[in-house]
Amino acid sequence: MTPVGKVYGLTSAQFAAEAVRLAVADAGLRLADVDGLLTSSGVTGGISIDLQRDLGLTDLRLLSHMQAYGSTAGAMVQFASMAVQSGMASVVACVFADSPLQPERRAGAAYGSRRAPAGWWGMLGASGVVGANPMYALAARRHMDRYGTTSEQLGHIAVAQRAWAALNPAAQLREPITLADHQASRWIVEPFHLLDCCLVSNGGIAVIVTTADRAASLAQPPVHVLGWAQAHPGRYLRRDPDFGLVSGAASAGPAALAMAGFDLAEVDVVELYDCYTFTVLLTLEDYGFCPKGEGGPFVASGVLGPAGKLRLNTGGGQLSGYYMWGMTPLSEAVIQARGQAGARQAPAHDVVLVSGNGGVLDHHATLVLASPAAAQ
Amino acid sequence: MSGVGPLARDAATAEFCDAAAAGQFLLRRCPVGHASEPAVVQCTTCGQTDLHWDPAGGGATLVSWAVSWSRPSAGEPARQTILVIGELDEGPWWWTQLADDPPPDPAALRAGIRLRIEFRRADAGHEAVPVFVLA
Repeated sequence: MTPVGKVYGLTSAQFAAEAVRLAVADAGLRLADVDGLLTSSGVTGGISIDLQRDLGLTDLRLLSHMQAYGSTAGAMVQFASMAVQSGMASVVACVFADSPLQPERRAGAAYGSRRAPAGWWGMLGASGVVGANPMYALAARRHMDRYGTTSEQLGHIAVAQRAWAALNPAAQLREPITLADHQASRWIVEPFHLLDCCLVSNGGIAVIVTTADRAASLAQPPVHVLGWAQAHPGRYLRRDPDFGLVSGAASAGPAALAMAGFDLAEVDVVELYDCYTFTVLLTLEDYGFCPKGEGGPFVASGVLGPAGKLRLNTGGGQLSGYYMWGMTPLSEAVIQARGQAGARQAPAHDVVLVSGNGGVLDHHATLVLASPAAAQ
Repeated sequence: MSGVGPLARDAATAEFCDAAAAGQFLLRRCPVGHASEPAVVQCTTCGQTDLHWDPAGGGATLVSWAVSWSRPSAGEPARQTILVIGELDEGPWWWTQLADDPPPDPAALRAGIRLRIEFRRADAGHEAVPVFVLA
């Protein structure tokens, strides 16, 4: 991964190219070894299959640009895994990069200026429903109204992830926070305080997917991709009895674990997509870490943070670490699975569960990663 | 209350905007009679594309709500807008603001509270925007 956060001077495409070069070198490969490339971009776009030319990659056997929002990183690894399984390609680079931050411009402006003046989107904007914050706030409020979930309970997620971020040199926000800080932070869209919301970051992250045989002889400890699934409920801006209560994670999580042959109890480390604190809470419920509706009491019960028993979002996530969409949970999952997380390393890291979430809880991708020992 | 923003029509919203100007909220109705959200191009229940416009009764119930706060600036306090999802009595959902003036206490809101559709304009030069008010 490139430096992430308030890193200026590179376009998204330049971040993407640099991320691929770094990942290839990290694996002990040369660019000429890459025969597959999957690209994805964030809010600023600017990345396409032209990245092949930027990187001087010739004679690729797989090339595509993918977009399923925050579930894209997981989806790229899934397609890359199938490509190497089938022999279509042998070394596939999967990359995401974005550069929404500009010097002298506040972070919110990077994601908040998409109001359309006309048509159905214009009507939504004219009504005041602009961007992701209101939509996720409406989802969270429905959960609160139905199950009694509280803002303080969501705060436990923010506080725990900041404590993890303090142990992560790559994290953007490392100053510890308290539940009182969470409650005192300004409202963005109630029930979300500022500290319920993710960061905005510049940077790029790439992963290399290859066969298990090839990976065994490369420079890094291999991380096996044992299970995967997607779920796309498809009810955005339509009547949806599940809105805010159940997401695609409820089907993708169990399916990915079944494919990998593991139970939830065998998972050592959990890296969940966290555009908001609420997304973490809902995904924990949907994956089955606690019964439906009990996510609030569960996250407030002391299981979170470096002192808790659940190793969850160990790099600080997107709330406190860095906002690289689905590459944030995926990159921390790979770091943990390799045993390279330093002060924040989970003692057991054989099985890592990773989620990606896109749209307004509309797109979900799950990965189950494992160490060579666990993959036997 | 912040009021609604400016809105222009386009080809897809023209008939909806004409009805809105007359105080009617139009739904899409398929030959079987299923009601769908106004923006759909096929019935959300059965997939038929032979849809016609049909006025909703205007009654709804509250599904969820959120309070959007403007960023406070020098000398101006933060303004708040209550955003809601309403379930129309015909079934479809709609996302807009709760436009009561003065605004209700958000702490008193609960799912299932009765709502009614009204329309507001940013000014006379812009299209009417559907809003909910407490029934």
